[in-house]
Amino acid sequence: MCVGLSAKVVKISDGTAVVDAGGAKREVSAQLLGDLEPGDYVMVHAGVAIAKITDDDEDETDQLMEELL
Amino acid sequence: MDNKTVTMAHGAGGRQTSELIDEVFKAHFANPDLTADDAAVLVPPTGKMAVSTDGFIVSPAFFPGGNIGKLSICGTVNDLACMGAKPMYLTCAFVIEEGFPMEKLEEIASAMEKTAKEAGVRIVSGDTKVAGKGQVDGVFITTTGMGEIQDGVQVGGELAKPGDAIIVTGDVGRHGCTILLAREDFGIDADVTSDCAPLWGTVKEVMDATHDIHVIRDATRGGVGTVLYEIAGQSNVGIRLDAAAVPVAPGVKGVCGMLGLEPLYLACEGRMVIMAPKSEAEKIVEVLHKCPYSKDAAIIGEVTADQPGKVVMTTEIGTQALLPQPGGELLPRIC
Amino acid sequence: MEEKKKTAREIIEGYQGPPVRIMEVCGTHTHEIFRLGIRKLLTPQVELISGPGCPVCVTPVGFIDEAVYLALEKKATICTFGDLVRVPGTKKSLADARAQGAKIRIVYSPADAEKYAAEHPEEQVVFLSVGFETTTPAGCLSVKKAKEDGISNYSLLVANKTMPQAYQALKGSADVFLYPGHVNAITGTKLCEQLAEDGVSGVVAGFTAKELLTALAVALVRFQEGKPFFVNCYPRVVKEEGSPEAQKLMEELMEPCDSEWRGLGVIPGSGLVLKKEWENFDARKKYAVPPIQGKPNPACRCGDVLQGKCKPSDCKVFGKVCTPQHPVGACMVSNEGACSAYFMYGN
Repeated sequence: MCVGLSAKVVKISDGTAVVDAGGAKREVSAQLLGDLEPGDYVMVHAGVAIAKITDDDEDETDQLMEELL
Repeated sequence: MDNKTVTMAHGAGGRQTSELIDEVFKAHFANPDLTADDAAVLVPPTGKMAVSTDGFIVSPAFFPGGNIGKLSICGTVNDLACMGAKPMYLTCAFVIEEGFPMEKLEEIASAMEKTAKEAGVRIVSGDTKVAGKGQVDGVFITTTGMGEIQDGVQVGGELAKPGDAIIVTGDVGRHGCTILLAREDFGIDADVTSDCAPLWGTVKEVMDATHDIHVIRDATRGGVGTVLYEIAGQSNVGIRLDAAAVPVAPGVKGVCGMLGLEPLYLACEGRMVIMAPKSEAEKIVEVLHKCPYSKDAAIIGEVTADQPGKVVMTTEIGTQALLPQPGGELLPRIC
Repeated sequence: MEEKKKTAREIIEGYQGPPVRIMEVCGTHTHEIFRLGIRKLLTPQVELISGPGCPVCVTPVGFIDEAVYLALEKKATICTFGDLVRVPGTKKSLADARAQGAKIRIVYSPADAEKYAAEHPEEQVVFLSVGFETTTPAGCLSVKKAKEDGISNYSLLVANKTMPQAYQALKGSADVFLYPGHVNAITGTKLCEQLAEDGVSGVVAGFTAKELLTALAVALVRFQEGKPFFVNCYPRVVKEEGSPEAQKLMEELMEPCDSEWRGLGVIPGSGLVLKKEWENFDARKKYAVPPIQGKPNPACRCGDVLQGKCKPSDCKVFGKVCTPQHPVGACMVSNEGACSAYFMYGN
């Protein structure tokens, strides 16, 4: 229901962050995430960084499969 | 010119109209076929002639990579080129909104001059009307082009054959993406410029290399995806597309990711889709790579006999999935 | 010797367990599953049901009517996500209103709508606030910003919804829920764990091909074990506690209300409304919007589709009268809608 975009934080200032998703940059709200730093990856939805994330889906899926079988 | 903006008087047919025509249009479009008479008198081509007309109403009129003037030449010249026709003559009609800055009009005319020269086409007749404030948005341009069909080439949307390779002459979706960012206030900053370019030179190089080409079509409104569906329908063939092979500039990919759009459905203004027998494909791509506007040309798929009318993508996980059919107005989706 | 481990895809393609109905609650999941051709990998035992997780699809006709009323009668500038523009109201969509001169602006974020209001004090700007827990914080932030900026020409037409009550309403429709990862990013996973204890199984899924395949594989393996289960298959984004900041923000500005879902009817406590102290930003109060009872097209079966009671292709108007170019119901409008996905990608 919610298109999310994983993007890299390139700049932080006063509650907002500039994020970069493959060369497209946009200012988003960082108010929901207290401790962001440039270089972090975030999930962005409707102009708000909603979660700090790891950029790569490899580890989580590998580990889940490991635990599963 | 004293007036800094276009006024109703410029469209009234009197002294100021002449001034506008002399100082802006004639200064840029001058050539032996463009006279002050009511109609141009032309020598027709010896062979068959292609004619195409197109109206241009892009908002904003100026965008990264071009303006409405450049676009109005490219669009029509490229339509002719798609039929294998060498552009010869072009007419243009302007509808200008009262109050439009003269300097901008000058810039548009200058872009038209430059692009026409590059495309090897002469502007032979023109018309200027001024509409009241608010009746048009800035400036609208309609161009009609005439071109000479080159011997030995027969291309058309109904001629795609199973086994043909599908080539796109460059990365897709740039014009649509550029206009979207320039027009809407999405606050997205991306390094994207329009691909707007006259492509007759490119088509000529390809045709000089081989006459064995079935389809050439420029992917304008609706983008490459729409063109593929059109040809699948016209030729009653299936199209298999390799999603990973479709060239997309990183900025376009990023913007599409943000707004939930499919790059294959964003407009191009300087990209052709070419379908030709597989045996010719490598040669064509090699030629394209040497042309100025097709350095990123790539083979993106093939024409098949199965699933006629459908465009099937090989996805990133190797499954086959239909490319969604072209919808209506492109709406960025967020939820 | 240990057998070579199967990949997620091998598990999905080789599933021979008992029949299972998996409901992808989230519209973006529906869309990605089609885009990636994942349905083609499933064995006949596995049925995927497209649930009600597209905010555009579950927003009732009356909401569009209210927005059209504000645009045409109150001459408000409507700012909206693109998906809502073509959703049919009782008589008109916002696109129809635009053709009659209404000012409809598509925005990427409510923050942009607030900014537009600040820059255009002569206009009355209303943002159409739809969406679930993922989207609601963005609207709340824009209201707080408007208050800080002292802006009085900005308000929300609120139709935000919350998922927990919907899960309860849908409990019997599926054996396993594929939970919407980005909602869980906000709400956390406690409710899902609770539901598992009550016998309702589910997995939280991410959105990449790998994440989706993994979540489906986990669901199938665990389903065969026969006990209710919950697994968070999207841990790089979803934490157990979710986003406490976002939860706090929503509690500060909004409170629950009964809410109508297209197809599901009124679900008590499943909607949100701005609290009294924020009512200056509530477009319904500000412009005294009269109660509007929207009337959906009677032939449209969006409601049944949203509950997984029928497939889009079972609806009489699907693909004939109702197409993405001329949608009859909301499920055909939104890219995420089940009908749109069925139409665009074929069955």
